[in-house]
Amino acid sequence: MPRRRVFNPLTELLAAALLVVLVLVVNTWQFSLAVLVAAVVPGVLLSGKPRQIALAIAVTAGPLLLSSFLLHGLFFPEGTTVLAEWGPARVTAEGLQFAALTGLRLAVFTGVLLTAALTVSIPELVSTLTHRGWNRRLVFVVGSAVGLLPHVAERARRITRAQQARGLVVGGSVPSRVRGLLMVSVPLVTGLLIDAAERTQLLEARGFSSPGPRTSYLPDTDTAGQRTARWLLAAGVLGFACAWYAVGAGR
Amino acid sequence: MIRLECSSFAYDGGPVVLSGVDLAVEPGALVHVVGPSGSGKTTLARLLAGQTGAGNGAQFRGALTLGTDRLGFTGGPGDPRIDPAAWSSTVAYAAQRTEGQLSMMSATVAEEIAFGPANRGMPAGELRAAVQATAARLGLTDLLNRDPRRLSGGQLRRTIIAAAVVGNPRVLILDEPFQGLDADARAEVARTLEVLRAAGTALVICAPMLPGAAPGRSRVLALVSGRPVFDGTLGQARTAGLERYAIGTEGSAPDVLRDPRGWAAAAPASGFSVKAGGPLAELAGVSFSYRGEGTRGQAEVLRGVDLRVDPGDIVGLTGANGSGKSTLLQHLNGLLRASSGTVAVAGRPLGRRTATGRLAGAVGFLFQDTDQQLFERTVLREVAYGPAAAGAGREAAQGRARTALAAVGLGHAAGEHPYELGFVERRLVAFASLIASGPAVWVLDEPTAGLDLRGRNRVGELILGHAAAGGAVVLATHDGAFAGALCTRILELKDGRILSGGARRGAGGA
Repeated sequence: MPRRRVFNPLTELLAAALLVVLVLVVNTWQFSLAVLVAAVVPGVLLSGKPRQIALAIAVTAGPLLLSSFLLHGLFFPEGTTVLAEWGPARVTAEGLQFAALTGLRLAVFTGVLLTAALTVSIPELVSTLTHRGWNRRLVFVVGSAVGLLPHVAERARRITRAQQARGLVVGGSVPSRVRGLLMVSVPLVTGLLIDAAERTQLLEARGFSSPGPRTSYLPDTDTAGQRTARWLLAAGVLGFACAWYAVGAGR
Repeated sequence: MIRLECSSFAYDGGPVVLSGVDLAVEPGALVHVVGPSGSGKTTLARLLAGQTGAGNGAQFRGALTLGTDRLGFTGGPGDPRIDPAAWSSTVAYAAQRTEGQLSMMSATVAEEIAFGPANRGMPAGELRAAVQATAARLGLTDLLNRDPRRLSGGQLRRTIIAAAVVGNPRVLILDEPFQGLDADARAEVARTLEVLRAAGTALVICAPMLPGAAPGRSRVLALVSGRPVFDGTLGQARTAGLERYAIGTEGSAPDVLRDPRGWAAAAPASGFSVKAGGPLAELAGVSFSYRGEGTRGQAEVLRGVDLRVDPGDIVGLTGANGSGKSTLLQHLNGLLRASSGTVAVAGRPLGRRTATGRLAGAVGFLFQDTDQQLFERTVLREVAYGPAAAGAGREAAQGRARTALAAVGLGHAAGEHPYELGFVERRLVAFASLIASGPAVWVLDEPTAGLDLRGRNRVGELILGHAAAGGAVVLATHDGAFAGALCTRILELKDGRILSGGARRGAGGA
């Protein structure tokens, strides 16, 4: 079920980025936990594809979280309050606290950024950037990077099938898989480069570098209110960060 | 309207690929530029599209006239540069390969069509109206909200044409607009072009063969090795004996040697062995449905198909798009595994765990899409890949590759990069790759799509030779004349079932 869109993609992306900045600035486990519970978890649940996002978070952050807990929880040289000890490994309260801090921070980062990235509507984003008059080439990079990904994946799949039909046996051992990957990459990259050369001419012919303002087929979903809100949010976070550091330095 | 005078054109430091051409296109005209692979059609199309290659070291001597403006070119650095955006508003161009023709910035067909005018700053209201009007004219209204990367071949061509003509150009240049399309998709694209022509857009269509159906008054310019060999009406072209230049007519029967000794000479000693008696491949009660995204529920693509392929068989599969032809073919080499029923190759049943790669020596597969099955640096390495993967030594593999290349008539191209060859040659390289592995069963998906007369005849002879030597061929095709001339059995697929039993006929359609 697609999520009901509330804000413009630009507003959503900015909010996600500012949240990450806030977590970095405040840098306490209580605040990270609060953001996680109050913002990230509801965000994922209301995203319309909680399973996909949860899986993405688990795959990216899971191994890091685990290793962080093992490393800091068991071996934290600065730790003094020893809770348990097995040979060289000591579980200390400070170590656990540090692990919780970094772990929560990491969870917030991946949660916020992945939710934003996986739910943002790229066409709407590109259209907003066009309406706001952003640099055309930057807009193209944003739009085509995402547009090309599924195309590249499909192409890689077809090449693999063609190679299998010619006698490539994929699977089993790691060297065999690596060889399979290399075999796919050569025709894939060659094909993409040829496409890119042709696409350059097509883009030129269709007025991509024409001077003057551009329009967009999609209507502008951005509002004056949201534009103001974005400036206020950015200014607010900046001001808060300055104040936070000033107070911290004064203490 | 537009006139190209080309006394010579050469790509960066290369030989002259086009010369002696003087082509004027009047408003509302229909011009067919025909010629075998490598005859200079694409170069001509690009020049008309204003791509004189000035920045890439190409040397163009001649002139381009658009309306009353005549631009002269001497091949020197002082030559005029053409603004592609301005040029394309009068002369639009749809290139041969479709992959590079999408902007990749559009999530829907509507945005793709709107891309050009939006870049030129057309106001939003007008933009919507222009897109809707173009879509309505070309019958694309139902596709406007579809993802352009997930269209069928014919739909994609029409989208690209729509994106090219949304600004109402007066001339549209099309480089092989029918390449790789089946009969239904061809008809779709042809209807689209007819609509444009009726509205007064001049069309220049480059293709390897003369069109099967087109107004007899339309003009034909035939090119061979970069030089014009015929310039006249289509009616005259049909009787001008262009076959001697390997320019045939769409939909005509292939001109294969009727003498079996000729086939044997064309067929390489691919060295397959056939066990006496049993069938080479057999499908029994095979049903199949695609799983996963994009399909609603579990639509069955194949429903209880039985097929027995014996030595000497040339089985033709026909049927509309989506009837299951390609799906059936992919069961023969294990790319797809039956949901129920059994598949046996060379007397051995195909298990779930039999790797597709292990079957390459028994069943050779030619894909519909050529470019995604070529992946090596040279033609020789490409063709030698199969035998080498099957365990042949380097020398032996290259030896077999050379034999296979000679069989398809590409012995001279062994050292070239596959991507530097023309479409027909690339298709024949893919064919040679299949032959070199020495499989007894050839599975061919649309083997003649996009081929010129010579290539089509060559493929016909190879197929006949393979069957005469005791191998078997299963091919899916929309080329009725080709299937009729070659196949020992023609089976029609409809909704995943074999409709007609296909009476056995003699080889060569006799």
